[in-house]
Amino acid sequence: MPQDLAEIYRTTYRALVRFLYRKVWDAERAEDLAQEAFARAVVHKPDNARGWLFIVAANMARDDARRAARERRHLTLLTAEPQASEPAADDALHVENERTRVRAALEQLTPRDREVLLLWDSGVSYEAIAAQTGLARGAIGTTLARARRRLVEAYEAGQRGEHVARG
Amino acid sequence: MSHVDDGLLHAYLDGELSPAEAQGVDAHLAQCSECRRRLEEERALIARAAELLALAAPPDRELPPFRAGDVKPPTRLWWHVRLPLAWAATVLLALGIGTYLGRGVERARQPDTTAYAPPAERRALDARASPELAEKESRVKLRGSARTPPAARPPAPAPARAVADSIAPLRREPLLARADTPAAYAYGERAADSAARITHGKASQDERDRWQKGDAISVDSARRVLGVDPLVVPGVPIEAFYRGRSIGYSGVVIVEQALDSNTMIEVINARSAPALLNEVVVTGAQPVRSRPAEAAPPPAPRPAPSPGAGLFHDVRGPLSADSLATLRRLLQPLRP
Repeated sequence: MPQDLAEIYRTTYRALVRFLYRKVWDAERAEDLAQEAFARAVVHKPDNARGWLFIVAANMARDDARRAARERRHLTLLTAEPQASEPAADDALHVENERTRVRAALEQLTPRDREVLLLWDSGVSYEAIAAQTGLARGAIGTTLARARRRLVEAYEAGQRGEHVARG
Repeated sequence: MSHVDDGLLHAYLDGELSPAEAQGVDAHLAQCSECRRRLEEERALIARAAELLALAAPPDRELPPFRAGDVKPPTRLWWHVRLPLAWAATVLLALGIGTYLGRGVERARQPDTTAYAPPAERRALDARASPELAEKESRVKLRGSARTPPAARPPAPAPARAVADSIAPLRREPLLARADTPAAYAYGERAADSAARITHGKASQDERDRWQKGDAISVDSARRVLGVDPLVVPGVPIEAFYRGRSIGYSGVVIVEQALDSNTMIEVINARSAPALLNEVVVTGAQPVRSRPAEAAPPPAPRPAPSPGAGLFHDVRGPLSADSLATLRRLLQPLRP
């Protein structure tokens, strides 16, 4: 591995896993894909390795997501329906529920808004996001503002829905 | 100035505005309470979104070492191969250094030497695969030790008969007498049970360190390394040529010769590194005539040095200093 790529691995691997996890929703799978992205980077030696990694990761996650599409629709349906969550759920279950809600909220964003938001949350700069998504750099702030707002709204709507259903 | 839109506020809060853009936003915020209020709203929104995303983060784990993943393109092979290669190189190096103690490792593969060696040498080399055979062969050869007819070496200072005569007493020399210095040859034992050790561990550690024996090479390779014919003790079966290594010498060839079934001598042929030319002791070097082209191995890699110049020769083995000195005087260039 070239020296600079080793450094990028050190600084970017976790961000890439984070980015991938929000797409495949499986930690092991996200790590595998991240490793694979780095393995490909070793081969291709891209100039902008960091940006390149996220592009490759996004493509790999999309392919992966197609395979999991059916499962995800099923899960979305489950989330939309009143969840039979136990009143005294333990911490692990609580965390899992929160994750499911955030995931469901993310699913309601447009693919482009979601992509920009996830890239930003993984530490990618506006400029790199613009390069990756094809958006104008000046549009990234607007897109992020919309994505954030929709995420929060969708999440809170989900909670309200649960409360309404429960109440 | 018109109000700052959401996108600009987010870029401002994300620190993604250029200094000029940020100054423009600062200027507007300073005079627009509405935008200051929105700024705080967007700040809270950004924090909330980040908080939610953190809920959907993968478990925080140790950074794993880079592993190859599933794809195995050819160009990534070096990643897989480099470590094994390093090990292989280490092992080879160890083998090379350790050849002295474990000659058996290298003996099986010397096709070049076998191909170019005169029949007597070839038999000896072939016999290497089997130690007992080798011993028998050596004994057989020793009986007719004047293997090369004197006529083949016109410039030979000593006739073959004389060579054989001077070697003969060495072969009868008791082993105890041969152990001239205890440090060098700690073989006080009787010949019968010390034969193996004499053959395989005859030199002191210092000696080994000075002349590290590497891979077995062909006689032609030996000539290439030295630029001239290696010197050998005539009439003594040649077991093998080894590439050697020693500080201050650019090319070292070690010729193993079987004085008798129990006694292996080594003839050191060393070409000194240019810087040390003046310090080299030239012993026993004989003028070397240019060889006929058809019989000649590939020419020397460098401009032909003045024959014998810069070459160091020595003979080492489990013999007394006098005996070794005698052998040194007998050294002759090996003819094709």
